Amino acid sequence: MNRTARVKRSRRLDPLSLAGLGCLLLLVLVALGSLVHAGGDPDAIVGPRLRPPGPGWWLGTDNLGRSMLPRVMEGVGTTLLLSSAAVLVTAALSAGFGILAGYRGGYLNELIMRVVELLYSFPAIVLAILVAAVAGPGQLAAVASIVLVTIPLMTRLVRAAAVAVAERDYVTAAAISGAGLPRILGRHVLPNVAGTIAVQGTYALSVGISVEGGLSFLGFGVQPPQASLGVLIRQGGTYMMAAPWLIIGPGVVLVLAILSINVLGDGLRDRFEPRETRSLI
Amino acid sequence: MILDLTDVTVSFTTGPPLRRTRLDAMRGVSLSVAEGETLGLVGESGSGKTTTSRVALGLQRPTSGTVRFDGRPFPRRRKDLAGRMQAVLQHPHWSLNPRMRIGQSVGEPLAVLGKAAGELVPEALEQVGLEAGFAGRYPHELSGGQRQRVSIARALITRPSFIVFDEAVSALDVSVQVQILNLLKDLQAEYGFAALFISHDLGAVRYVADRIAVMRGGEVVETADAATFYSAPEHPYSRQLLESL
Repeated sequence: MNRTARVKRSRRLDPLSLAGLGCLLLLVLVALGSLVHAGGDPDAIVGPRLRPPGPGWWLGTDNLGRSMLPRVMEGVGTTLLLSSAAVLVTAALSAGFGILAGYRGGYLNELIMRVVELLYSFPAIVLAILVAAVAGPGQLAAVASIVLVTIPLMTRLVRAAAVAVAERDYVTAAAISGAGLPRILGRHVLPNVAGTIAVQGTYALSVGISVEGGLSFLGFGVQPPQASLGVLIRQGGTYMMAAPWLIIGPGVVLVLAILSINVLGDGLRDRFEPRETRSLI
Repeated sequence: MILDLTDVTVSFTTGPPLRRTRLDAMRGVSLSVAEGETLGLVGESGSGKTTTSRVALGLQRPTSGTVRFDGRPFPRRRKDLAGRMQAVLQHPHWSLNPRMRIGQSVGEPLAVLGKAAGELVPEALEQVGLEAGFAGRYPHELSGGQRQRVSIARALITRPSFIVFDEAVSALDVSVQVQILNLLKDLQAEYGFAALFISHDLGAVRYVADRIAVMRGGEVVETADAATFYSAPEHPYSRQLLESL
């Protein structure tokens, strides 16, 4: 028999991705901490306005004299929560549509892919503003925008993966056995495209964070006094010259969140989708 | 006759719009497989073997001609055929779902029928020469030959009256091929299923087939008993194939 050289899948993530995972978990921990006011009450006025970082307000104070530390903590939580909720919705919808389009092909595939391409052709922020205009600014608009921005790419990739899986012999054998569509899609196709969904889900999370940031920055997303990273950056922007710490705190956290998620995504991709080099049979 | 193909033509259209060309993958093919018999189908790549197997399995609707399975045309609902027809396909690498344990894969045709697998899975594994303990393993822990054995166990578990083997041993090395072919003959003697054995390898076909059909360019050029075929092939192309053996 010809040797089928299989690239060994390493069970563990590389150090960089682990660092990303660690950083992300830290941010989640920080966000959870804000629930018990670990850094202080985000809405309490604790001192003079626009103070640079110092004892009592380790990230400085804002234009109302609120400590930035608890506000950034709350902001991370809001941003992560909205983005993950949106990504879960995206993952569910993309999995459904992508697998159906990839396995069934034909008119259904054409229909789903044309809609996806239509969404794909809108610039993300234009799409987000459109949603906010229809749904009204707020958390719902933020979630809906993230879903609409992330769904096209994910659906396309899930579909591509499903097309490849649909041609494999175990799927054909199941169809010949008389297995119905739910069984074939649920037992055979979905588990074998799950890696793609997980990897794309992480990337979608980082896109989601930046869409939330952008939308709230423009004032269409999360509404103050609730803090999100986008809201904080918008408020900080007004006083950028006088009090740069207002924008540095949430800005650094936003960059950290997106970077760590992307690095983690790269690691997951290498783990779940190794380039398999197989000799021709 | 368990399977009857009468004057079956399958054509595909390819090429850009306005310059479509029609390609006949099968042209006027008539074949039949009797109960308990093995028909060997040989031919080079592109001769229409795979399309023939897809038609025989009901996965491809013929452009013209009739296909009858067990005396009746294929039912509209695939489920009505569940368990009566199975297949063992080409790539050992893709024949089993990598996310399912061997036991689940083997028991799946029963699950489709809504039957409990129970003792049947270890039994089926033992029939193909594997220990019952294999049920708990994943496909990546098995060799190519072992995986094809598992595919055979999966195909046999519903005791179908007809099994298609589409290049089922072509990807295995020769010593493993012989083991699998021997296994097939033993199982067929025991359970009496009819088989369509498709291969480009005349040597492998000789081993298992009662009758041989030779395809070339979408047409069946010769059908004969195995003994007659290997001693006195009629068609020049058959002779050419045999000489290269």
